[in-house]
Amino acid sequence: MFVDTSGRRSKVLRRIGVLVGVVCLAYAGVLGAAFMGWGTSLNPSSLLPFAGGGSGQAPDGFGPRDGIGRQAGPPGGTPSAAPSGTAAPSPSSPSPSPSSPSPSSPSAYAAAN
Amino acid sequence: MTHPTPSRGRRRAPTRMERAAGRAAALQKPRVVLALLLLLALTCVLLLDGYLRAEVGGDQRVRTGAGSGDVPDKVLDGGPILTFRGGRATSVSVPAKTIALTFDDGPDPTWTPKVLEILRKYDIPGTFFLVGSMVSRHPGIVRTMVDQGNEVGIHTFTHIDLSYQSDARVKREMEQTQLALAGAAGITTTLFRAPYSSETDAIDNYSWPVYKKLGADGYTSVFVDTDSDDWKRPGVSKIIKWATPKDGKGAAVLFHDAGGERSQTVAALPRYIEKMRAKGYTFTTVSGVMGQRNATGAAGAPRDGTPADGTAGASDLSGLQAAHHTATGTTRYEGRALIAAVAVAEWTVPALSALLIVVGVAVMGRFAMMLALARRHHRQRNRRRFGWGPPVTRPVSVIVPAYNEKECIAGTLRSLARSTHPIEIIVVDDGSTDGTAEIAESLGLPNVRVVRQRNAGKPAALNNGVRHASHDIVVMMDGDTVFEPDTVRQLVQPFADPEVGAVAGNAKVGNRDTVIGAWQHIEYVMGFNLDRRMYDLLRCMPTIPGAIGAFRREAVLGVGGMSDDTLAEDTDITIALHRAGRRVVYQEHARAWTEAPGSLGQLWSQRYRWSYGTMQALWKHRKSLTDRGPSGRFGRVGMPLVVLFQIVTPLFAPLIDVFTVYSMVFIDLRAALLAWLAVLGVQLLCAAYAFRLDREKYRYLLMMPLQQLAYRQLMYLVLIHSSITALTGGRLRWQKLKRTGEVGTAAGVG
Repeated sequence: MFVDTSGRRSKVLRRIGVLVGVVCLAYAGVLGAAFMGWGTSLNPSSLLPFAGGGSGQAPDGFGPRDGIGRQAGPPGGTPSAAPSGTAAPSPSSPSPSPSSPSPSSPSAYAAAN
Repeated sequence: MTHPTPSRGRRRAPTRMERAAGRAAALQKPRVVLALLLLLALTCVLLLDGYLRAEVGGDQRVRTGAGSGDVPDKVLDGGPILTFRGGRATSVSVPAKTIALTFDDGPDPTWTPKVLEILRKYDIPGTFFLVGSMVSRHPGIVRTMVDQGNEVGIHTFTHIDLSYQSDARVKREMEQTQLALAGAAGITTTLFRAPYSSETDAIDNYSWPVYKKLGADGYTSVFVDTDSDDWKRPGVSKIIKWATPKDGKGAAVLFHDAGGERSQTVAALPRYIEKMRAKGYTFTTVSGVMGQRNATGAAGAPRDGTPADGTAGASDLSGLQAAHHTATGTTRYEGRALIAAVAVAEWTVPALSALLIVVGVAVMGRFAMMLALARRHHRQRNRRRFGWGPPVTRPVSVIVPAYNEKECIAGTLRSLARSTHPIEIIVVDDGSTDGTAEIAESLGLPNVRVVRQRNAGKPAALNNGVRHASHDIVVMMDGDTVFEPDTVRQLVQPFADPEVGAVAGNAKVGNRDTVIGAWQHIEYVMGFNLDRRMYDLLRCMPTIPGAIGAFRREAVLGVGGMSDDTLAEDTDITIALHRAGRRVVYQEHARAWTEAPGSLGQLWSQRYRWSYGTMQALWKHRKSLTDRGPSGRFGRVGMPLVVLFQIVTPLFAPLIDVFTVYSMVFIDLRAALLAWLAVLGVQLLCAAYAFRLDREKYRYLLMMPLQQLAYRQLMYLVLIHSSITALTGGRLRWQKLKRTGEVGTAAGVG
């Protein structure tokens, strides 16, 4: 009973086994790569021709002058101009700003989720 | 929980099976590798599923009330669109009489399509901030969303408060979501909205660095001017009121298309759109706002938004989706692979859970059935008035097949010599090379006949014994089994009923004082007192144990004697007897003491043979499924029971273990532990009842929790191993167990 003297069945099953194993490995590989972000570079700065490109969309597209300038005067006044900012851009006092976040919103928002 | 029932004593080696174990051994290694890969994939599926549902790596913390001293006032007071072009924070506000509809937390399979339908109906675009995990689970919705001209942004992959997360996690959250978008809609995006964010004045010292960092990476963070607070479900009119900006100002308005029941949002949206249109508002996307700002330059009032007029051409449409970028190359393929992987997990996990529920219900149902039937069997057979008929007193033949049993044969024969029932003992020496036959002859016991044969295997030895038997009832036992004086008498009493063709006795583990012996003891007591009583009443007992069974000689000869077609000749002949319409009963009072394998290796090879042999026997008798009469009855009642509970459910046992460990580690340790303990409790209860029926000492039950952690796994691994051998067609080598001859009767056993 069950014994296959030709060995064909075991060969077929072995191939299926190899296939299943490869699929399993590929699955784990895909997930690992997707989770860790291997093999892709997805930051907008690496996708967009910001600094260098200059084709199509102008590099100064939504430039500093347009936005804040309109609202808050001269662009030089923006305090957070440090290129790769450390967390303390302005010498202002560390006391909490009066316009602190409305406390209900985020927590209730969490509850809603 | 689902270990196969112990059903026999031990068997001796048929020689024909000794060839060609080589191939099976060669397959061993790839099997292990494959099993580990399957385990890896299953773990991945479970982890992915848990990650998508925020069971794995989830973080419920939400920061509130932190200071904002580090955040520039211009940002706090600025517009809702925050970019860091050229490394400097830039706020953009929405032009007057313009609404940027934004929807958070989607896609949701129920509500998002409804929202999209409303937007399509009014021909206006929205901006959807999507949660990556939801994108990967519902890619079709996102594709429709983008095709319809809406803009999408990232709302992280798992909707966590990024201000608590490491840079690496933030980066992963963004990239994973990009990948999901690339896989779902073939795009990536530069828009971002932080979960739990709201107006710009709510930016605090902890979230500010995140925005700066993401801004440096090229992301545009989008906040809110006007919050509809629709998630509070305040009623349609309040949603509309809260969503309406004052004095004709422009606004980025927040709605939610997911994250809960959103019927109010869906109801409010058309009314809101109509109301705002009546006020002269136009609708655009976040990129649309930026585009208008660009076009108007630094000057104050913007020209009225052309893109939202509905006359928008293709170029305008792309302007509305300027934040999108076509995903190419590896990104696109990896994204698709991710979507596919999520789809697999989305199907696999529910399917496996459903299967496990079915298996769990079946196993629990079996326990209930066993308890009920065992109780009935016990009561029925131990009633004062119960009898099989007139007492059976005529002499019977006892056949002792022996192959190299020098340690045990003397004890076996001496125990038979004390029998209270008249017996003839036929020792069939199957070509032993250790002088077993000589030992048997030298004992000088009366009524012992030694029949010698060339080594031909246990079935042949038994057939030889049956041929030499001079009585119409033959008792078969193993050469290493010890009977009590009363055993034979008890065993043959059921033959008073002419219907009964064979009787199974009660095999007991003698060497039960080791851990492995105690485990087998528990297994035997449960197998004999629950399974066998149940099968007796259902009239479909699959196996008469090789260690102790009695047959009508003509019944054995009627089905052609013992066959060496399978490695489980005892199961084979029992099924054959059922098919021939013979009744097989269980006689609990006929006890035989047997020596269980003392090492894991021996236990493994014994069980390997049993499960392989059982499968062979079931396969051999598969035609009974469609037969008529008693054969068909066994095929349709006994066969499914055996297949389900001795093969199918044990095969699912590893899955149960993986799920248990997974839920202990990742979901809820206490709940999982409690569930595990509950199952253990049920099994303990059943075992305790079995012990009570057999008047066994309960202290061995202390080994039961440990049994769940090692023995069970061993049993299902054996079963998987033998199933694969059966599938691949490899041959199984018979291995004789090492004996010490230490088993005595009850007197010698604790």
